[in-house]
Parts: sequence; C-alpha cells; structure tokens
Amino acid sequence: MDRRREALVGFVVLLGIAVAVVGTIWLQGGWRRSMVELTAASASVGQLVPGASVRFRGVAVGRVEEVRLAPGGDAVLVDLSVDPGLALPENAAVLVAPESLFGDWQAEILNRADFPQGEFLDYPQEGVLPGTALPDFSRLTATADEIARNLTVISERFEIAFTEETALNLKNAIDNIGEISNGLNEMIAQQAERFEDLSRGVNASAEELGAAARSARISFERVDSMIAGFDVGGIMANAEASAENVRALTEDMNASLEEIRSAAATADSAFGRFNALMASAEDGDGSLGRLLGDPALADNAAEAIEQMRALLADIQENPKKYLSLSIF
Amino acid sequence: MGIHLREVRKSFGPRDVLRGFTLRVTDGETAAIVGPSGSGKSVLLKHVVGLLTPDSGSVTVDGAAVPELKGRALVRLRRRIGYVFQFAALFDSMTVAENVGMGLRRMPGWDRRRIRARTEDCLALVELAGMGDRYPAQLSGGQRKRAGLARAIAPSPRYLLYDEPTTGLDPVTTAVIDRLILRMRDELGVTGLVVTHDMTSAFRVADRITMLHEGKARFTGTPAEVRAAADPVLRGFVEGNPDLYFGAGRARSEDRAER
Amino acid sequence: MIESVLRPFSTLGVRFLALLEELGRAATLFAAAFRSLRNAGVWFPNLLPEMARIGVASVPIALFIATFTGIVMSLQASYTLTGAIPVYFVGTLVGKTMILELGPVLTALTLAGRVGANISAELGTMRVTEQVDALETLAYDPLAYLVVPRILAAVLMFPIVVLLAMTIGIASGWVTALQLLDMSSPEFVKGLRLFFDPWDVWFAVIKSVSFGAIVTGVGCYCGLRTEGGAEGVGRSATRTVVVASMLILCLDAFWAAVLL
Repeated sequence: MDRRREALVGFVVLLGIAVAVVGTIWLQGGWRRSMVELTAASASVGQLVPGASVRFRGVAVGRVEEVRLAPGGDAVLVDLSVDPGLALPENAAVLVAPESLFGDWQAEILNRADFPQGEFLDYPQEGVLPGTALPDFSRLTATADEIARNLTVISERFEIAFTEETALNLKNAIDNIGEISNGLNEMIAQQAERFEDLSRGVNASAEELGAAARSARISFERVDSMIAGFDVGGIMANAEASAENVRALTEDMNASLEEIRSAAATADSAFGRFNALMASAEDGDGSLGRLLGDPALADNAAEAIEQMRALLADIQENPKKYLSLSIF
Repeated sequence: MGIHLREVRKSFGPRDVLRGFTLRVTDGETAAIVGPSGSGKSVLLKHVVGLLTPDSGSVTVDGAAVPELKGRALVRLRRRIGYVFQFAALFDSMTVAENVGMGLRRMPGWDRRRIRARTEDCLALVELAGMGDRYPAQLSGGQRKRAGLARAIAPSPRYLLYDEPTTGLDPVTTAVIDRLILRMRDELGVTGLVVTHDMTSAFRVADRITMLHEGKARFTGTPAEVRAAADPVLRGFVEGNPDLYFGAGRARSEDRAER
Repeated sequence: MIESVLRPFSTLGVRFLALLEELGRAATLFAAAFRSLRNAGVWFPNLLPEMARIGVASVPIALFIATFTGIVMSLQASYTLTGAIPVYFVGTLVGKTMILELGPVLTALTLAGRVGANISAELGTMRVTEQVDALETLAYDPLAYLVVPRILAAVLMFPIVVLLAMTIGIASGWVTALQLLDMSSPEFVKGLRLFFDPWDVWFAVIKSVSFGAIVTGVGCYCGLRTEGGAEGVGRSATRTVVVASMLILCLDAFWAAVLL
C-alpha cells in the first residue's frame, strides 16, 4: 500500500475532525476562556436557552450554560459563565429579557435598584443571584390587545352618550344654575336688609327702653321719696337687668348678622365666578366651550353625564374589567 | 481418501440440476466429467469446495463431510483444494502476481519474500514467467486461464478442480493447458477433477470419464471404455451427433413420462 | 371469474412475501458481515484503501455540491426573508439547513450514486465473473474481505466528508451573502451563531454514519446478489441507487423524529 494514499486518508480525516471541532467552538462563541460560574434564580425564564448571551451594561460578558428547574420545581435556576474580570454590581440581580423581537433572549446582570419594578425572586441558597424575567412579548401583545379593546368600548359608549341633546340639556342646566344663583343672591340681600332693619329696630327699642328705664327710675326715685318703705329698689333692679339682657341679645344678633353677610358675600363671589365661566363657555372659549357651543354636540348632555356616571359606577363595581388600563 | 459424491441432489427453484449424482475420485487420478453446457457440471464442482450445499446426498473430501464444515475446518479444506475457474476469475484490481499470491497471504509462515518466490515458481510452471506485473485485462484468454491455474496451485493443494479449462481456447492453447493438467498430476501428484464439454481434452487428460446427463452419472469409464461404449447418449455427445444424443434423450424422457 | 378477482391480491401477496424474503436475506447478510468483524486480519488491510476510495475520493464532488447548495440557500433565504425578519436570519437559515439537513442528506444522496453504484457494480462484476467464488476457494471470507471494509470505511468517512461539505456550504453561503446580498460578516455570523447548538453537529454525524452504512450496505447487498452478466450488473447498480436513496430519506425522517 503506498504511503501517499495513507497520508491522504489521514490528512482528510484529520481535516474533517479539525474543521468540525474548530467550527463548533467558533459557532458556540469563541474559545472558552476560564469562565466564572454564576447561578441565578427566577420564577420563569421566558425563552432563555443555553448559549444565550449574558450582558452587563449592554456588553456581552458571557453565556448561559444551562437552564434547569430548581429541586421542587418552584423556581428556574440559570447557570451563567461570565468573564472572570467582571465585578458584580451591588445588589447584583439578573434580568431575563428578550434582546429583540426575534427570539434571542439574554440574561442581563444589573443592580437590583436599577429595575425596582421587577419582582426578583430571592432563592434561599447562598450565592444564587435573584432574578426575574420580563413578560414574554406575546403576553405583552395580548395585554395591549385587551387594552385596545377596552378603549374601543369606552369610546363607543362615549359616542353613543354624547349627542346634541345632551349638550343642550347641559347648557340649560348651567343656565338654571345661573338663575338659581341670581335668585339666591337676591334672597340673601333681602334677608340681610331685613336683619339689619330688625337689629336697628331692636337697638332703637333697647335705647328707648333704656331711656324709659332711666326716666322711670327718676320718677321712681321721686315716688320712693314719697312712699317710704315701699320696695321700689327691687323692681328697678329687675327692670335694669332685663334691659341689659335685651342689649346683649341685640349685640349677639348684630354679630351673627355680620357672619351671614360675609357668607353671603363668599357665595356671591363663587356664583359670580361660575357665571363668568359659563359666560365664557357660551362665548366659545376653551375646549369645553367649543364643545358646548357646537349644536351638534349639545344634545343629550344630561344623558351623557348619566352614562358616564353609570360607567364610573361600573368601573367601581367591576374594577377588574378595567384594571388592565392601569398598565399603560 | 479422495473426493466422494453420493446421491447429490440440487435444485434452483423449479429447476432440478442434480438428481442423485454419484462420483468417486480416488487419490492421484484425474477424473473428467463431461456433459453439455448447462447440465450442471459447474454446480457439481462448487459442491466439492462448499460453495454450494446439496439439497440431499453427501459430499466428502478426505472423509470430511463438506456441507457440515464451518470456520477453520472449511478454511483448511479449501486450502487443500485448488479451483480453476471457467473464465479464470482473476481479481481485476490486482496484478497477476498479487492474484497468484492471494491464497498464500493468509497462510501462517508465509512472509512477503516467500510468497514472491512461490508466485514466481508457479508463474514459471504455467509458462507466464515475467508477466507477474501485468493486470488481468492485459492478458489473453489462454494466459488468463494459466494465471488462474497458477493461483489455484500456489497453496500446493492436493486436489485441483478445473471448470471448463479449455473452453474458448484455440487448439494449440488447449493442448498447452491439457499438458499442464497432466503435469500437475504427474509432477505434483495432484488429484484432479476436470469438468469439460471438450471431449478431445477429456480424452487427453482423464484417467476416468463420467458422463453427466439429466442430473445423473450416465456412464463412467476409462477413455477407452468411453470410446467403445454403445450408449446412444454418450455416443451422440462424444461424436457430436445431435440426432443420436437428443433422440435418445427424448425417448428417455418420454419413457419416464409414461411410467 | 374468481381468479381475476383474486389476482391483484395474490400479486400483492407475492410481492410482499418477496419483499420480506429480501429483507430477511439482507438481515442475514449483515448479521454475517457483523460476525465477520472478527476476521480483522482479512478486512483491516482493505480498510485504508476503501477509506481512500469511498471517502477521500468523494470529497471533491461533495464539496462541489455543498458549494452550490450554500449559494442557493443564501440567495433563497434572502429572497424569502423580507419585511420584518432581520437580514441576519440568512446566516441562521444557511447554517441550520446545511448542518441539519442539506449537508448530510445531499452528500449521502450524491454518494449513493457515486459510492453505492460503484460498489454494487464492482461486487456485481466480481459475482458474475466468479471472483467472489474465487475468494472463497482461496479461503477468504468474502464478507470480511469485501463487505466489512467497505461498510466500515463508509461509516468512518461519511461523517468526515459531510463535515467538510457542511463547512464549505456555510462558507459559500457566507461569501454569497457578502458579495451578492450586501450583508456584513458580523451580521451573517450573528445569524449563524444565533441558534447554533453543538448537538446539531452530532446529529449530522449520527445521520452521516447511518447513511454511510446504508449506502455501502445496499451497494454490497445488491452487488453480491447480482445475477445475469453485464445487464445484471447494471440492474444492481440502478437498484442500489434507488433503494439507498429511498432508505436515506426514510432514515432522515426517522432520525429527525427520534433525535430532534
């Protein structure tokens, strides 16, 4: 057997094996330097597979070696091999997330504080990093889809409720409020006047009463000198006390009148502001104004309000139905 | 000891080739089996080396039942038997010398030098000295037959089986081959079994001739007895007279059909 | 009447029995060949020449096919992957298909023609010219001398040829991506590495080993069963290619179902 053929066979065999070995190692992502092994625990890992890259601050620092269930099956343990030069951050944790929309998942090493919204799983074993996985992209799409559907329902309801009639009723209602507040103003003004007259009358009669009491005293003193032994002093003291009481009453009434007047003034200014708002609304300034000024939308405002109230009640009753809204 | 076939039957599918053939070849003689092409002569030879096993009957060589031999025993038997194939059956991918040395290579005690020496001797014996480096395709028909013979005799067998050794050769080459067969018997003391349809050759080389007809030994005798035989089938075959041969054969078949 | 109704059934039955018989013969042959492994002295000297003939000599054709497969894969991948799918997926597709499927299967199908037919014709010729019988009369076990080294050589060399073909196929796909598709090397390599799993290479090796055994096994079987001169040799060669190709594809599906 000639040597050249033997050599050729040997060469081809070695070449094939070498190509396979070098190619495999290269495709796996380079020569395996001496790597440091890390383990992270997570409730789930999405589509993380062995061979996926491990990143730190966006830089690839290693690869996922193995993904396995923890004994008992209540967690997933992910073995990572990372560059020995890597200094782990404080509160190191592992975030498993898709790198792009197309399947490649990665494990990212980060400070736990950098991703506070993550529910990291603390595995009761020394040296195992806490980890969490972002929801799978498909799950996000599902949620987004539900939200979109809810938004559609709401906007549909709103459209049904907010017709021209609604707007008109709303306008009437606001007009009514204006009228009422005007009436109320007037009423308060009248009442205040009446109170003033009353107190003025009371004051005058109290003074008159005082004068009468004084003149009565004088006359009584004269009568006293005339009729000795007659207990005129007691009668006078009583009269004086009653006059005192009346005065106090008058003062109280005056004080309370002040309070009523200031309350009325406050209410008045409030209603005034409301009126001004309404006026400007009717002028067509601002978005609400435009809404109300448009006759096409002015229908059924009351009904719209009712519908919205029903919707709010529905939300309060079945919060779960609308809960997903909170995600956005 | 010799070669002994007794009541050998063999059929391939619906075709009965041997229907109870009996033959004894004693040591030192050369026997010839004659018969027309397709009469099962080669099949007979293949039974002797265990290439085929009989459906019934026995085949013994040196007292050993060939169909029952396995493994080493079969190897030992085959080393005692040389087989010269009809078309030489040389291995195309090897030179003539390699072909001749083939049977020696796996025998214990044979190194490369000894094999080469023996190969040259054998080639010289068949008058092919110096042709060892050629490939079979470069040889003529007669040369190939002789190379095949050299290959068969290289392991010094006690028995040589010749399958149509002279078929397709010119008369001179036929004579050369016949002389070789005789030399094997006379110089090497080899027991020979020649299968042929060439009566000239058979008369020249055989001590005894057996006629194979319809799967049976129809006639056995020395060349002189064959020449003198009155059997129409044998005479038809020997003389090359189809009327005689087939007429008798047909009469015989009809005979059997009636019976 | 009944005859004509029954004929299709009986034909089917005969065919089925013939198939079973054939399977049985093949199984017997391979069992015997397996036993002949003991005769290392017989087959070992033939192993290296067969490795050269079956393996080394098949490298050029395998590489040729792999080269063009790689080019076509790359172009078709970029044609198919449009829109939202990132361009580096061309690398993924070329790598995955070359390693998992096209490398082993196309190579095996090619070699079914090149090696299988060759073996079948060679052994067939040896059979009809009585060279196989001659081997036996020279006290050689033809299975150990002819069948074992061929099957072993194929089992050893097919994976090597396939590995080389895969490499060249991926390389040609890469070059195509760079030259014709305006991709960059990092993009292609990113795609190539994206879903790479060393197990894929093992899968390809396992497949190639079985394909090697199938191609040479069928070649040997058909070759040794040859009857009827030159025409029979031609028939055997054709049969080898057809049967081996079919078995390769069946086995391919089998491995995919079992190993993936």
